[in-house]
Amino acid sequence: MSCNHHPDLSTLLNYGAGSLSDALAMVVACHLESCEHCRHTVTEAENIGMALLKEVSADDMSRNARDNMLAMLDDHAIEPPQVVIETPQKEGDIPTQLRPLIGQWFADLKWSRVAPGLKQFILPASDGKLRLLNIAPGTFMPAHGHSGSELTLVLKGSYSDELGRFRAGDVADVDPDVTHQPVADTHEGCICLIATDAPLRFKGLVPRLLQPFFQL
Amino acid sequence: MLVDLAKHQDKLLFMQLYDYFSPRIKSFLVKKGASAELAEELVQETMLTVWKKAASYDPEKATASTWLFRIARNLWIDRLRKEKPDLLSPLSVYPETGYTPNMDVCDSGKIKSALDSLPLQQAQLVYKVYYEGKTHREIADDMGMPIGSVKSGLRLAFDKLRFRMGGES
Ligand SMILES: [Zn+2]
Repeated sequence: MSCNHHPDLSTLLNYGAGSLSDALAMVVACHLESCEHCRHTVTEAENIGMALLKEVSADDMSRNARDNMLAMLDDHAIEPPQVVIETPQKEGDIPTQLRPLIGQWFADLKWSRVAPGLKQFILPASDGKLRLLNIAPGTFMPAHGHSGSELTLVLKGSYSDELGRFRAGDVADVDPDVTHQPVADTHEGCICLIATDAPLRFKGLVPRLLQPFFQL
Repeated sequence: MLVDLAKHQDKLLFMQLYDYFSPRIKSFLVKKGASAELAEELVQETMLTVWKKAASYDPEKATASTWLFRIARNLWIDRLRKEKPDLLSPLSVYPETGYTPNMDVCDSGKIKSALDSLPLQQAQLVYKVYYEGKTHREIADDMGMPIGSVKSGLRLAFDKLRFRMGGES
């Protein structure tokens, strides 16, 4: 999979630093699985982190720490190297990072209907901040803006909005001042993983009435 | 160094790493808000992980110190998560796999001088992200700036830093 839309540089910086909220970090992790370009950028962010770590003034450890460490080395041998098997992602696969939460197949999920043509699945233990949206072909999402950050990763199909066309693997990193209205634009519809760290702001009365169904 | 360490199970070599990094990781975690006790506990855990996993370290994929940074970061985040039941615990958002880029060893002195050359506000943003562990939203609240400006400031800073580090711009 090659991607055309990536998380913002500032989002990758925070991810590398370990300063992204969990829901957003999960979306980035899923994108990294299929994007070498962003993996490289994250490594650069980690290098900056390391340089900053070396910069801090050393804070002495307590007196016994060193001896305790030495004792622990006697109890723990160096483990044999771990061989990491990388399974390539195909379009429509559930990303590896998500599988412990939702299993392997979209079809097995218990989707709940939000509006005509729109189903969602709130990821367990995410406090409603991480969800899958299943958008039927030709369906328009309600237009909305954000008061915080929103990251959307397309897992299957594609959608278009004011910002462009997003296919599987692509990430939309939407700034709070942007209002957009995605529409699923292929015959198979579109499944996205969406993380937010603040409530969406819907425009218009009907979408605002829908808000409770989004649990936002 | 880590490669030799794994080959010979060399404790003395390891303790050199320990003596250099442990007080720094401790101080780094205390800055992020850990108590001294917790910071020391995580330092020990980090260094023990470095020891146990030394044979899995691949110099093609990251510099040794960047690898160490990842381990400390991930342990810190795991710890934070345990205290917040609403988060994605116990799921990891930092996979061990997939970091394949081959990077030149980067010289932290270069990064330091690059940081010093940033405009004050951009340097502040970078420090808040790395030392205080703040999200864009939290920084926006702290500094009374719109999130969009926080992100664009960080973008500019990141670009300058990696350009100076010899990466792509
Ligand atoms: Zn990417």
